[in-house]
Amino acid sequence: MSELLTVKAIRDAILEGSVTAEEVTKNCLAKIAAEDAKVGAFLEVFSDRALEKARAIDAMKASGETLPRLAGVPVAIKDNMLLAGEKASAGSNILRDYTSAYSATVVERLEAAGAIILGRANMDEFAMGSSTETSAFQKTHNPWDLERIPGGSSGGSAAAVAAGFVAAALGSDTGGSIRQPAAMCGIVGLKPTYGRVSRYGIVALASSLDQVGPFTHTVEDAMLVMEVIEGRDAHDATSTELTDKPVAELLEPTLKGLKVGVPKEYFIDGMDPEVRARVEEAIEVFKQQGAEIIEISLPLSPYALPTYYILQPAEASSNLARFDGMRYGTRAPGALEDSYLTARSEGFGLEVKRRIMLGSFILSAGYYDAFYKKSLAVRNALRKEFDEAFKQVDVILGPTTPGTAWKLGEKFDDPIAMYLADVFTTPANIAGLPGISLPCGFANNLPVGLQLQAKPFAEMTLYKAAAAYQAVTDWHTKIPQA
Amino acid sequence: MEINLDHVAKLAKLRLTDAEKETLGKQLPSIVDYIAKLQEVDTSNVDPKAYLTDATNVFRVDEPTTLKAERDAAVGAFPKSTGDALEVPGVFGH
Repeated sequence: MSELLTVKAIRDAILEGSVTAEEVTKNCLAKIAAEDAKVGAFLEVFSDRALEKARAIDAMKASGETLPRLAGVPVAIKDNMLLAGEKASAGSNILRDYTSAYSATVVERLEAAGAIILGRANMDEFAMGSSTETSAFQKTHNPWDLERIPGGSSGGSAAAVAAGFVAAALGSDTGGSIRQPAAMCGIVGLKPTYGRVSRYGIVALASSLDQVGPFTHTVEDAMLVMEVIEGRDAHDATSTELTDKPVAELLEPTLKGLKVGVPKEYFIDGMDPEVRARVEEAIEVFKQQGAEIIEISLPLSPYALPTYYILQPAEASSNLARFDGMRYGTRAPGALEDSYLTARSEGFGLEVKRRIMLGSFILSAGYYDAFYKKSLAVRNALRKEFDEAFKQVDVILGPTTPGTAWKLGEKFDDPIAMYLADVFTTPANIAGLPGISLPCGFANNLPVGLQLQAKPFAEMTLYKAAAAYQAVTDWHTKIPQA
Repeated sequence: MEINLDHVAKLAKLRLTDAEKETLGKQLPSIVDYIAKLQEVDTSNVDPKAYLTDATNVFRVDEPTTLKAERDAAVGAFPKSTGDALEVPGVFGH
């Protein structure tokens, strides 16, 4: 689909005046108009608004003002992120006509930095899904193979970047919803440390797990976006005052002397042998570049996914109790109880109902201790296991997903098969660690993702290693020719 | 594991169709069996933790602020209203 669209290249071109923000925006809008009918990345494109913002950047430039960090860079936001005055539906019928009353902190920060928000990207309903197929509105197709899913739940965001519609997109990651679609679409996806990025103005899925992060082609671009969105926000009490704020221009990529832990539990039976081969080749690159590869064991890894499928539905069932058609969404007729039941039963899709039911069951009298409380203990044990591992290694390396993008419809009726796509990504959410997925090659012409995890707030370690890997490989420069 | 779907649906404030009951009646028990795998983990020496951050009681200064535009937008988005007030069905007497 043409050339690599990076945040840095666009920003630099606008800064030096070789292109205007309006031209960049128009080009992207034209590409979306021509090609998104077959990809289905966007639920809505904010054309007029985007052009107006782009012209404002050009006017700033013309009057000699200093341009902000991301001036004129075209981006997409996930449909669960509020932009004041625009719709945000979280992929759900229950919010089909909801108009945001205010902007999410991350969205506000992107705009303040001059980024141009081109539209809202498709997602699994309330971010519940691994394929973007549970969206109430449309299917999104993987730009590498239009018969396949883009991954999920931030599949629209990932597809928009992979297809070259935007240079970067925001996603949210509760159990892998940034890293998994990034892997399947052949791009970079970062799930920051819990507490690094504000969630204010994001439709909550599971509040102890949710984080917002970027999709980009390069590690440098991911840093440029993170620089703008990260840091303390008074509106999200879990967001943290950062002591280190990595700056893209000051990064010194290197793998020399890096201690890389490779857990044997991350190479499971039943994983795609081609995916395994690509990850092993990446390990060789790390070795050649001076990294020390250390085989480690994380015996609790197999319990991360079942822990996740307790915590997440439990928290989701509670978070989604607010959707009853009273304050927003569609009011159903009838007396109170009837109105609630009708609004919720007609407004939610099957996957959402499945998880609300599961969460309500887990939290119900008689099961709370056996499931919910037990999962909180396992969560703590998992974190301790990671803490121990990080005394020995700087990063933990493995595949992002056990397989590549599957065909649309293939796993739709088999929830457990679908949930298994997140087997390597859920541990970082449960333990609150940062994780990044990088393109590391292809298996049967489909992108494969390599995941690096580090200890909490050690994003800098991830950036250095990931950028060093990208400096000696070119997988991230490959773009689909559909 | 047995799951009383009607009871759970009542807790979840959902009205399930017969088709949904049939699907969930099959799927939920197998998901519950899958998550029950956690019982294998010995957690006698670890505390349950709902959050893993070190933050506790994050306070802010309690200052009044004006959020006129946000307020108007939120009120404007009410599905039913009387003036500036949210209109809801009667809470008592049903």
